[in-house]
Amino acid sequence: MVGLGTVLILIGLFFLVVGSIGMLRLPDVFARTHALSLTDSLGALFTLVGLALYEGFNTNLLKILVVLGLIYLLNPVIAHATIRAAYRSGLRPGSGENA
Amino acid sequence: MRFVTAAVLFALWLSLSATLSPAHVAVGAIIAGLVAWVNPVLPHKRRLSWLAALAYGPWLFGRILKSGVHVSRLILHPSLPISPRLVSHRTRLTSDGELVVLGNSITLTPGTITVEVAPGQLVVHAIDEESTEDLVGGALEGKVADMFRSETSDS
Amino acid sequence: MNTFLFFVLVALTTVMLVYLYRVVRGPTAFDRVLGLNGISTKAIILIVLLGTIFGRVDMFVDISTGYAILNLVGALAITKFLEERGERE
Repeated sequence: MVGLGTVLILIGLFFLVVGSIGMLRLPDVFARTHALSLTDSLGALFTLVGLALYEGFNTNLLKILVVLGLIYLLNPVIAHATIRAAYRSGLRPGSGENA
Repeated sequence: MRFVTAAVLFALWLSLSATLSPAHVAVGAIIAGLVAWVNPVLPHKRRLSWLAALAYGPWLFGRILKSGVHVSRLILHPSLPISPRLVSHRTRLTSDGELVVLGNSITLTPGTITVEVAPGQLVVHAIDEESTEDLVGGALEGKVADMFRSETSDS
Repeated sequence: MNTFLFFVLVALTTVMLVYLYRVVRGPTAFDRVLGLNGISTKAIILIVLLGTIFGRVDMFVDISTGYAILNLVGALAITKFLEERGERE
């Protein structure tokens, strides 16, 4: 169980690191949101499930799944709110808004 | 409907308190029943098909995994071959529940993100052309429409 | 302390530093909000990880649940304000 947890945590860390590289490299705020959604949906999933399995099967698995469900429900709402505010205040993708 | 609400609240209580001592379980049952009884039932025009909803989760996860690997390859590629675009998409889904599930799924999938939502109309930002094929092809929309059948045809 | 978990702790903190760079540097206000949102997602994972290290996951998971919900409220308030005001540096 510890071995499987370790592998899952390492996969999750890979996606988290790729997401942060994307946060640095991508050109504007619209494209950077994709990097954020990568870390939110895949990185958090693998890391949290890996941590739960690392502990072994007990009630903590259920509680960590509750946190995971909250992340899956709430983070798209935040990403959508941010990107809608950017769109409504006049930013457009590829309009020379560079880092 | 109230019973379903109470059952979901009670399950959440059990998973957060993580004990099975009689006092905890009794307090949880009383509070879940009370909250479900006090709150009014929202009017439903659509009925959720539980079987389709259960099948939807693993399907969406497969999609997320596939497009996640795709977006990772784009980001790690040395020349950064992205072509961002805004896609205006006309959809036949109009009710609030369907739009919430559709918009949330689009945002959750790496590579596409919902920018504006109106009944029957979505503006989606995509990182390249391959990411939009799921949405434009109508696969996602069909799955969400299966989940919410209209009450007249279903029951 | 478990060496592997300590390695994960350091890696997570480094990832958070990258997001902090985006918050400080970010050309528009929305980049800063995006970076803050990324930091709080990592903080949720970090709290669960600390719980695993200290052997008290049941207690730390409750903290991260509260953190996730408060994060939503704060981010929605900031984006609502920015949407009303428009983008101005």
